Amino acid sequence: MSYLELNLDLTDEQLMLRDNIRKFALEVMRPTAMKLDQMTPEEVIAPDSIFWDCMKQAYKLGLHKILIPEEYGGLGLSPIEVHMVVEEMGYGSSDIAIALGVSCFPAFLASMVPTDELINNIIVPYCEDTEAKIMGCWAITEPDHGSDSLAPGTAQFKDPNIYGQCRARLEGDEWVINGQKAAWVSMGTAATHAMVYLTIDPSMGFAGGGICLVPLDLPGVSRGKPLNKLGQRALNQGEIYFDNVRVPYEYMLVDQESYEAILDITLATANAYVAAVFTGVARSAYEEALNYARQRVQGGKPLVEHQHVRYKLFHMFKTVEACRALSRAAMVYNLSTSPPATEYSIASKVFCTDAAFQVAHEAIQIFGGNGLAKEYAIEKIFRDARAGMIEDGSNDSLALFASERLI
Amino acid sequence: MIFESTAKMYDVLGELFNELMKDQPLYQKFIDSDITIRFNISDPDGYIWLTRDGKVICGEADYKPTIEMTLSGDTCHKFWLQEIKMPVALAKGLIKAKGPLPKVLNLLPLIKPAYVIYPDIAKKHGIL
Ligand SMILES: Cc1cc2nc3c(=O)[nH]c(=O)nc-3n(C[C@H](O)[C@H](O)[C@H](O)COP(=O)(O)OP(=O)(O)OC[C@H]3O[C@@H](n4cnc5c(N)ncnc54)[C@H](O)[C@@H]3O)c2cc1C
Repeated sequence: MSYLELNLDLTDEQLMLRDNIRKFALEVMRPTAMKLDQMTPEEVIAPDSIFWDCMKQAYKLGLHKILIPEEYGGLGLSPIEVHMVVEEMGYGSSDIAIALGVSCFPAFLASMVPTDELINNIIVPYCEDTEAKIMGCWAITEPDHGSDSLAPGTAQFKDPNIYGQCRARLEGDEWVINGQKAAWVSMGTAATHAMVYLTIDPSMGFAGGGICLVPLDLPGVSRGKPLNKLGQRALNQGEIYFDNVRVPYEYMLVDQESYEAILDITLATANAYVAAVFTGVARSAYEEALNYARQRVQGGKPLVEHQHVRYKLFHMFKTVEACRALSRAAMVYNLSTSPPATEYSIASKVFCTDAAFQVAHEAIQIFGGNGLAKEYAIEKIFRDARAGMIEDGSNDSLALFASERLI
Repeated sequence: MIFESTAKMYDVLGELFNELMKDQPLYQKFIDSDITIRFNISDPDGYIWLTRDGKVICGEADYKPTIEMTLSGDTCHKFWLQEIKMPVALAKGLIKAKGPLPKVLNLLPLIKPAYVIYPDIAKKHGIL
């Protein structure tokens, strides 16, 4: 189902782009994610899993490179187009939308500091990939540091007593990496490359970090078991371990001199992306409820004809529209402004993920008992929405950290 | 302040950008990217434009910029000498950019030839 496009400046091409992605989201992403949801995490990433068929189709459409500039073969979408596409992907399935989002991390960051080596060996091959053979991930959180690692701009981020355990030290012209990243690294189990956010100078606390592009086939890299979890089960997650992993000097894209600022840009981009995904999730929950309420008859008439149900549907509709308005505005601003106003991306992430959960919760109520049954998409959407309130930063911590920017 | 006056800055940076636009493949890439960039420079104050039709204009002009880069004359000089890297410049707030991110990122590979020719231009003008 479509929505009324309130932006009258969009072109026919932009609307067509949105509609094409919606078709893919509904016909491929959602049914695939529904099936994967019922599998074990090991089955989800097994070589013959339907996950890979879906990823291949997504790569063929270029959905893995929406943030990468055209110069290297990326889609080079404008900020508003990025939002429209990501919302549709989230509408199809948040888990696969997130998998595609993290996949572009190494190539996207490399495109901010493009050397010939990075262009030829990382960015261009990634853009040319139509078989989902190259897949990135964002390895930042650690078993002992979740929220701590996502708090740039706060006093605790510079506290020398709090720093990440995954460390890099320079030896000659190589960086040597040791440590572990959390079981929560999305696609950590299957990615070929990781953007690892690690500690270089612990005396600066978390601010003494660096961002290193690590090909995950290097000696000394190993992986954890795929994580079994409540929602977004099509998104595989797991630890990455580094045991004296040697990485060429220039693969440390950012060092402690600019780590905090680049993390801030990362967070502004990632939170804006997640907000767009969960605008789509909220919309999918609303539509599931609306469609169900049109068909289900109780008290001799369809649920939609009961005033209380209609009242709920109106508030769900209103919430979805508010999600789109805020998340689009934040994404368009922050993908057009450097340094970004990160508090707006955080506001949109917190708002849209809270809203998606609330809308999914109301939708389940409208479904009654059927809302709890696995055969209805809303059951999965509800669990997926719950995970959104923690991924990319717990909403509580994000709100607290962003509040420091307001005072 | 490395550029003693706006006129001096226009001489040096104007020459840099005009030389770059003489590089045919680079010129073509710039034209294809269909953007107008305005550098808003401070200390000394001035504007430099690279217009979507490949013109280099020093001073006020009546175009609508796709991308705006706001930075000081000293940051310009250090940037082209590769004494300051883009992430650090962003981190320290030395460069502020406005414009669609993919278009800004598209420009980064175009910067490389400028690194090659800038030291000679700077020397010629007695600022290196
Ligand atoms: C679906 C999903 C995908 C994810 N993908 C990735 C990924 O791709 N890469 C990756 O590295 N990580 C990923 N994560 C990890 C995610 O970023 C963390 O789970 C999140 O940052 C919270 O960290 P934590 O789980 O360690 O919780 P903790 O940091 O232990 O927080 C627990 C609770 O304490 C609160 N809290 C923590 N610190 C403070 C404070 N200073 N003040 C007040 N309250 C505080 C939090 O708000 C939270 O409610 C993902 C998580 C999920 C659920």
